[in-house]
Amino acid sequence: MANIVKLKALDGRTVEFVDTIIGQGAMKDVYCSPDKSYVVAFFRTKQNAQSRDRLSNIVGTYREKLFNQQGGDYWKNLFCWPDSIVEWNGLLGIVMPAYQGHYFFQHGSKNGDNFGIKGNEKEGKWFASAKNRSRYLDPRELGSWQSYLTIGIKIARAVKRLHAAGLAHSDLSYKNVLVDPVGSNACIIDIDTLVVPQRYPPDVVGTPDFIAPEVVMTNHLNKEDPKRHLPSIATDRHALSVLIYMYLLYRHPLRGDKVHDVSDTQRDETLSMGERALFVEHPTDDSNRIRVKHLEASELPWKDTKKVPYTITGPYLVPLFNRAFIEGLHDPAKRPSADEWEQALVKTVDLLQPCQNADCEQKWYVFDNSIAPKCPFCGTSYQGRLPVLNLYSARKQGSYIPDNHRLMVYTNQSLFPWHINRNIFPNERLAPKDQKRGGYFVFHKDSWWLVNERMPDLADMTAGSPIKCPPGGKVELKDNQKLLLSKEEGGRVVVVQMVAGASGQPSLIGNIQSGLQKMLHRT
Amino acid sequence: MRRLPVYLLLDTSGSMRGEPIHSVNVGLSAMITALRQDPYALETVYLSIITFDIEAKELLPLTPIADVTLPDIQVPDSGPTFLGAALDLLVQRVDRDVIRSTAEQKGDWRPLLFVMTDGSPSDLQRYREMIPEVKVRNFGHVVACAAGPKAKLPPLAELTDTVVTLDTSDSSTFTSFFRWVSASVAFGSSSAGVTTPVGLPPPPDEIQVVI
Repeated sequence: MANIVKLKALDGRTVEFVDTIIGQGAMKDVYCSPDKSYVVAFFRTKQNAQSRDRLSNIVGTYREKLFNQQGGDYWKNLFCWPDSIVEWNGLLGIVMPAYQGHYFFQHGSKNGDNFGIKGNEKEGKWFASAKNRSRYLDPRELGSWQSYLTIGIKIARAVKRLHAAGLAHSDLSYKNVLVDPVGSNACIIDIDTLVVPQRYPPDVVGTPDFIAPEVVMTNHLNKEDPKRHLPSIATDRHALSVLIYMYLLYRHPLRGDKVHDVSDTQRDETLSMGERALFVEHPTDDSNRIRVKHLEASELPWKDTKKVPYTITGPYLVPLFNRAFIEGLHDPAKRPSADEWEQALVKTVDLLQPCQNADCEQKWYVFDNSIAPKCPFCGTSYQGRLPVLNLYSARKQGSYIPDNHRLMVYTNQSLFPWHINRNIFPNERLAPKDQKRGGYFVFHKDSWWLVNERMPDLADMTAGSPIKCPPGGKVELKDNQKLLLSKEEGGRVVVVQMVAGASGQPSLIGNIQSGLQKMLHRT
Repeated sequence: MRRLPVYLLLDTSGSMRGEPIHSVNVGLSAMITALRQDPYALETVYLSIITFDIEAKELLPLTPIADVTLPDIQVPDSGPTFLGAALDLLVQRVDRDVIRSTAEQKGDWRPLLFVMTDGSPSDLQRYREMIPEVKVRNFGHVVACAAGPKAKLPPLAELTDTVVTLDTSDSSTFTSFFRWVSASVAFGSSSAGVTTPVGLPPPPDEIQVVI
């Protein structure tokens, strides 16, 4: 049994750890407390005064700003934030909560965990790679496509919070974000690299695959050179976009087959991630496409951008990917913010439809606005009539305009307060009363029904005069029906569109498409 | 997908008999386990093992790390250390196996080479002839490891700037060496510093780096 080291942290707290290294990062050696509730990570090299000052702010002011506010507890699941500083044998260490149990593999790799990763950390790279997913990981570890949307929301929300406080993470990567697809959890780790613009410069440039092109391009310059680009909020935005793309599509947005230097792979790499970085799905420049003939079977269909194009992520995410990888790839100011990602991902959840193929590996897909919806992952067509709700809200009394927001209907789909009222948004500030659903949908005897649980104002307005449907009642969904969900300020009206599905009549194509056009053009 | 070819050249001359080679076998298998547990290495690393004693042998042709089955390395009773022959074989294999970039296809990453010996090359002239050949193959890193008190440093220093020494040739030092090899191989996926160039991670405490 190894020794237990007992120390007094700089804040006076008693810190204990078992004197055996349980893990090593690029800069730190990690030890665990005897009760395994927290870890202590010691920097291998001596930290200068600036670095010490930065760390003391991270465990002090910045942490308090984040966690000691109303709703601060919410962030404890999204960050593994250091809370004390210790010194031992001349080395500086930080104390952090241990990762929660769901961030360790429960089943591990295939064939009875043949690689022995059960109990190891769920490093994001396992899940962001088509080959690792299909060849090596136990399918029970993979989660559904819905899990990755939720993971994206949590990462975007956490990054948004950092940026709102004026902080940049500076090294977002699948190494520094733990994910749990089984429970749809995500947590940002390695907070100690935080960058505070103008105050604490970065000491890492990032992790390959996630470093912004302008940082790669100027990496050869001296740190003090004004032309040198260092990690910042703008480069975090690039890394966040790459993470979201990789978790939804299991491939890298810039790793195509365009060769920039045939004789030097390192230079080729620097050019393709830096100066000449080009989106593999660029609409007009196809020179960096991923060539399918070079791929292994295990990487398909994900690396075939014709089979699984980024447009399957739907109408809210596609414009952000365009800004991240087309307009803003070399123009940092155009990159979407973490806040925009969060909002678009949350809305995309409402466009999800469960795949009717029970064996579909992804289980969920984004409704493609067509009259014959089809799962893009397994190819199964939707059978039957499919109601889609278009959300409208009033900017002035009685005049409702579209919110560019749709809600797909499926059995047990819920209508939540953030659907009912445009002033409510499902984020960390959501009040407990707004976490309860107002109603739900069910398919019963060949009809779709909305069952009202707690919407006192619910009424069918289709005929002009309202037909009330008080809580406890239900209303059958019909094409072109207008339902008032709430009379409160910000309360919404939904217009029902009934999509025919594979076996029905294609009567609504024009209607839906023009509706969609209008929505897409709204800003 | 670029591959990362990793070549291990291992001394199997007579002096490695007994505990040293046993330690190498244990260390190698621990290294492969570690690489398979790293999702980045698992996707990219291809491993080849060349052994050398009275002859150079390709013990393991370049194989994806997930598919490697490790043969137990045997050692003859006695005999010379033909490191020159091993470099010769290495160069042939690199020319045959490593995918070069073309206008159409991304080539492999620059390969990594780890050489481990407990003595010195018996075929010194051939060894010296092969060094320039190795150098033009443009390896990403060449690391030479001098294991035990009889390993000679000067010939290794002709091959590479990075020579590490293991004071003893017991299992714990070999284990830490192979752990370092796996860390170096996986290093491409970790954070890069603002001032330090991308290079090898610091070696473990048990190893001394001679420059």
